[in-house]
Amino acid sequence: MATKPHPALAEHELVAQVEALLADPAHTDNPLRAALDALFESHAAQQERLARLVRISDGYHLLSRHHSQSLAEQYDRQLRRLEKLARISDRYQNSLRELSEALKDAALRDPLTGLGNRRFLMERIKEESERAGRKDVPYSLAILDVDHFKSINDQFGHEAGDTALSRIAQAIQNAIREYDLCGRWGGEEFLILLPETPLEFARQVVERVRQGIEELDFTFLKQGAPRITASLGLTLHHPGEAYSDTLNRADGALLQAKSSGRNRIITT
Amino acid sequence: MNDLNIPGTQSTPCVTALREQGLLTMAGDSYPENSFEFFRDVIAWIETFLRDDTGPLRLELRLVYMNTSSVKAMMDIFDLLEEAHTQGRPVQVDWLYDPRNERVLDLADEFREDCTFPFRIAPDGH
Repeated sequence: MATKPHPALAEHELVAQVEALLADPAHTDNPLRAALDALFESHAAQQERLARLVRISDGYHLLSRHHSQSLAEQYDRQLRRLEKLARISDRYQNSLRELSEALKDAALRDPLTGLGNRRFLMERIKEESERAGRKDVPYSLAILDVDHFKSINDQFGHEAGDTALSRIAQAIQNAIREYDLCGRWGGEEFLILLPETPLEFARQVVERVRQGIEELDFTFLKQGAPRITASLGLTLHHPGEAYSDTLNRADGALLQAKSSGRNRIITT
Repeated sequence: MNDLNIPGTQSTPCVTALREQGLLTMAGDSYPENSFEFFRDVIAWIETFLRDDTGPLRLELRLVYMNTSSVKAMMDIFDLLEEAHTQGRPVQVDWLYDPRNERVLDLADEFREDCTFPFRIAPDGH
């Protein structure tokens, strides 16, 4: 089987052949010549029309391709922007969360001693009073005041006074049990909360606290290191009573400890 | 085109825009109830300045906290600057942060990404 010539080539050859026939004077009088001439011209016009059509169609094609490309680019760009926005926004949100945690910590902690502050203690006393009421298990509460603290500040300066308070706080923390709680009640006053603890056990714990403070080494206060001691008022919370009554009772006991010579515990 | 002088509030930054100096400053927190409305004037000022003036534009920012829509507005602003920059207009951003709050440095750095114009991040007062 003979191979078919390429159609474009075949057409080209056909066109050349027809041109040659039309140009040949031998066929001038052929009755088919005029018809062939007209057909040949019509063919040329059709070819040109076809070429134009393809050009226009290609143009549209290109346009739509550019359009979809630019849409894809815009989409990618918006996506990147959105990711960036979310990233930055998340960072702000994180720093706000951390700030709020730090604020909460600052609101409940005494910055000098690192212990809970009065607000923290009040919250815990409320909680503990409710728990005591529910479970009918009393807790013990002690208020501690450092003896003659003002003289330390006056004699050695506030910085020395602050250092002394920090060490006292540490001594209290070391002396109490793991589940007891202490905090700075204000100035040189500390509060110790002993959950689910009867008075006689509580007394042993706060006695350890008193001794711990008495044994503290304050030789860093150069001239004539004074002996620092503390007085404590200890009481039991009776389930059902207002916690302010418990606090007042401990306060009263503390006053007694002060007036009866200091460096001691009065239990009521 | 007027200069801008928007005093800061608790939730919106203080904004000043001086046409003579080609300087726009923003300082403070930004979490307006309607960010679109708040930033519309700022963005309009920048667009007008870039269109009607020929001088350089500098943004001096001391922004601290921003809500999400404010972040988006700032990204739009930086896009305007980027466009002007690619057309050869001198623009720059100086983002100043309180050295006690280094988080702002990281945040400003995130904003700077993709910006090809001069974008300086520096501790305030240096």
